[in-house]
Amino acid sequence: MVKIEEKYFFDKIRLTEEEMSRLLSIALEKGGEFSELFIEYRFNNSVTIEEDIVKSSSRTISLGAGIRVINGEQTGYAFTNDLSFERLKKVALTAGSIAKSGTSNPIANLTKPVFQNQYYTYDNLVTELNLDKKISLVRSAYDSALNYDKRIVKVSSTLADEVQFVLICNSFGKYVTDIRPQTRLMVVSTAQENQNRDTGFHNSGGRVGVDFFETEKKPEEIGRLASEEAINLLSAGDSPAGEMTVVLGGGESGVLIHEAVGHPLEADGAWKKTSIMSDKLGEMVANPKVTIYDDATIPKYRGSLNIDDEGTETEPVLLIENGKLVAYMNDLLSSKILNHKPNGHGRRESYRFSPIPRMNNTVLEKGDSSPDDIIKSVKKGFYAKSFQGGMVNSTGKFTFSVNLGYLIEDGKLTKPVKNATLIGSNFEILQNIDMIGNDTGFFLGTCGKDGQSVPVTCGTPTVRISKMTVGGKL
Amino acid sequence: MNNEANLMSIAEKLVDYGKSKSIDEIQVSIANEDEFTVEVRNGEIERLTESVSKGVSIKLILDKRVAIASTSDFDEETLKFLVDDAIERAKLSNQDEFAGLPDEFYDTSQEIDLEIYDPLLEEVSPETKINIAKETELICLSDERIKLSEGSFFESGVGEVYIANSKGFSGYFKSSSCSSGVYLHSADDNNSYEEGWWTNSINFAGLSKPEEVAKIAIDRVTRLINARKIETQKVPVIFERPMTSMLLGFLASCLNGHSIYMNQSFLAGKLGQKIAGENINIQDNGLIKGAIGSRPFDREGVPTRRLTLVENGFLNSYILDTYSSRKLGLKSTGHASGVTNFYLANGNSSPEEIIKSTQKGLLLTRTIGQGTNPTTGDLSRGAFGLWIENGEIAYPVAEITISGNLSDILNNIEMVGNDLIFDRSITGPTLKVSEMTVAGL
Repeated sequence: MVKIEEKYFFDKIRLTEEEMSRLLSIALEKGGEFSELFIEYRFNNSVTIEEDIVKSSSRTISLGAGIRVINGEQTGYAFTNDLSFERLKKVALTAGSIAKSGTSNPIANLTKPVFQNQYYTYDNLVTELNLDKKISLVRSAYDSALNYDKRIVKVSSTLADEVQFVLICNSFGKYVTDIRPQTRLMVVSTAQENQNRDTGFHNSGGRVGVDFFETEKKPEEIGRLASEEAINLLSAGDSPAGEMTVVLGGGESGVLIHEAVGHPLEADGAWKKTSIMSDKLGEMVANPKVTIYDDATIPKYRGSLNIDDEGTETEPVLLIENGKLVAYMNDLLSSKILNHKPNGHGRRESYRFSPIPRMNNTVLEKGDSSPDDIIKSVKKGFYAKSFQGGMVNSTGKFTFSVNLGYLIEDGKLTKPVKNATLIGSNFEILQNIDMIGNDTGFFLGTCGKDGQSVPVTCGTPTVRISKMTVGGKL
Repeated sequence: MNNEANLMSIAEKLVDYGKSKSIDEIQVSIANEDEFTVEVRNGEIERLTESVSKGVSIKLILDKRVAIASTSDFDEETLKFLVDDAIERAKLSNQDEFAGLPDEFYDTSQEIDLEIYDPLLEEVSPETKINIAKETELICLSDERIKLSEGSFFESGVGEVYIANSKGFSGYFKSSSCSSGVYLHSADDNNSYEEGWWTNSINFAGLSKPEEVAKIAIDRVTRLINARKIETQKVPVIFERPMTSMLLGFLASCLNGHSIYMNQSFLAGKLGQKIAGENINIQDNGLIKGAIGSRPFDREGVPTRRLTLVENGFLNSYILDTYSSRKLGLKSTGHASGVTNFYLANGNSSPEEIIKSTQKGLLLTRTIGQGTNPTTGDLSRGAFGLWIENGEIAYPVAEITISGNLSDILNNIEMVGNDLIFDRSITGPTLKVSEMTVAGL
């Protein structure tokens, strides 16, 4: 790990610890309670094969720093790409101007706690792989997608990898660093038959090394799954419309948990009382069969973190236990206002943003029904297999968009159908989850909130929802 | 903000450095931005953000092989490393006969002032900006039907773009923008509703007044009170102006050159064909003075223009950058940076007439979720709106969905409103679509 730090990071950060301390002090000159310096250095690479050729590869190097000052419930934030002490001093004064008391607050000496968390691997870093090797991974996925079926007419296959280095220090004396790898291999396949065409997508990855694509998920499989979806969509009809029983397939349906439960449990909504889940701690908010947690400590997952973007060590956080709301996902500000413990959910897209409470890997715990039994239990309904994404508003109405689904008739999956939006209200849906499968699966996502995108996953078994509105066509 | 000469010379020097390495072509663009944002909730500043940031993007071509790079680290060593590294990477790309810089560039000697930069905006004090956000929210909170404020905001930014390339083009422009708005909740015994409104402009003086923004936001959120869920049915759907923007945003993604040559659009292969009703005219015009989407040239240095995309229902052009245009045997339309002011032209019905003409239908006021598939044109989204009976608004509806296909929608627009304004970069008048599925109970 030291090798990587030296190679990429520390020769870029020429600030001394003493200078960092001074910046934290300057930021509190106007009377703020808390100051924090966040420095980020990030490599992003990608290479794409499209229409049989490597069209281009790209490399991005981001460098920047943000200074945050909290005063009461107020946040001042300023950022820059210029990491000179002189420039950062101005940034500290700008952020500090949120406070007006004029009484300068002291800061604690910086100490470097040794944290135990280590949830990613630095072995076989994809970022360090030679480009020609990356290209062969992308090519394997591409070829497999294109050769899946004659009706596949266009494919694009992309490998994106990143290493993000963060240094966080604050006026409470915390000084921590983290190095976060992230990789994703994605394939988009378009199938055409006569005038009919459709597009399928599949991706896989995480905070993994190259070995992931040798042992856990082969590029060929990613390509095949993208094309399989495109071909299935070709023959799919219109989705039905109206209220009906809905079965969500394991894995990708995690979008539901993310939207319907995850977002409302982010603690900024709780302290601002803009969330439908605010003031509900200790209350039954879901069917007793429902247990949900967020766990940033699953090794190598896309949403995993050793520390969050405020330097808090992550831990598994139980959110809903047998239907009862037991915790929110907190950042430092929400913890302070709600008087809760910070639990590793303060995240930010980059140095350009101040942190807010976010999800990491959000999971609906397994139940005891087999997926087959769940499907068998439905006489007439809708089975959702793959998803485009979802959205929730703060009043609890949420949607998720199904790419591919199936009709359920007499307990069997029959006709493939496509393009439906499912809509519901979160309390209603949490009550209506009445069967939970004993399977599991994860959806790799990028979650957007307040203009910030962060990598997440959500996991769910097969789930039956007794009643929900399916927005297909009549 | 004033380092015009310096950043231009960094771009030009980097082009020279690339040329010294015997590559065929290189393009360097630099974006420089000053931004200010204040978020206010319940009368107090919740977050104040200020920044000065810049980034550089490099594209180089070596023997018809392409590599790209970008960074926010302006250290000379980093910049040279990125060029050297890109040269090595380009060698591993495949030859692509369509790769290369544009053939024609914006004529910097014939510069026209698009009025997209307001020097006065930089004079406006933070206190004034904060007070606008506070005042907007305060007006809203004084209405007893407003249960909660999600917050109000004021944002402003000044940006500079510098482009230099190995064909000798050097271009620069500066633009400004500001916006302010508020998001609110209303409620009845069973449900809460979320809505808001915002104003944006190039010019500080062009922003709507706080009382106007507040009035629209209050109206939008309170008209949903006592919303019902309705039976699933097929009915005419009226797209309110912001919903027309949503629909046109989807259409713009289907007209994008990359989607076209990748067959990921239902409009691929439809150039010159009738794709919409005769009453449909759509343009993208980057040259409207003072409009929010205007710019002199795109990120390849190709001039923007007034482009007719759909004329009397016929598809006249796609939205193209240099690469996608060559793939399709066409010419770049100056859209390497995306659409500019993309709009559907006015018809002659007033929004009131459109509502009056509807026996039973949905006035769509908001959608949530994704639910758009450019390959097929299918559209399905969560929806909120007002139910219309006998030509009048009867009651609000919520937690429903609308679904249809963009091709069908474009061919079945019964009435086109006369209320187009250029308040957003993608915009259009109120539209009435003869029939869509609305799913509820």
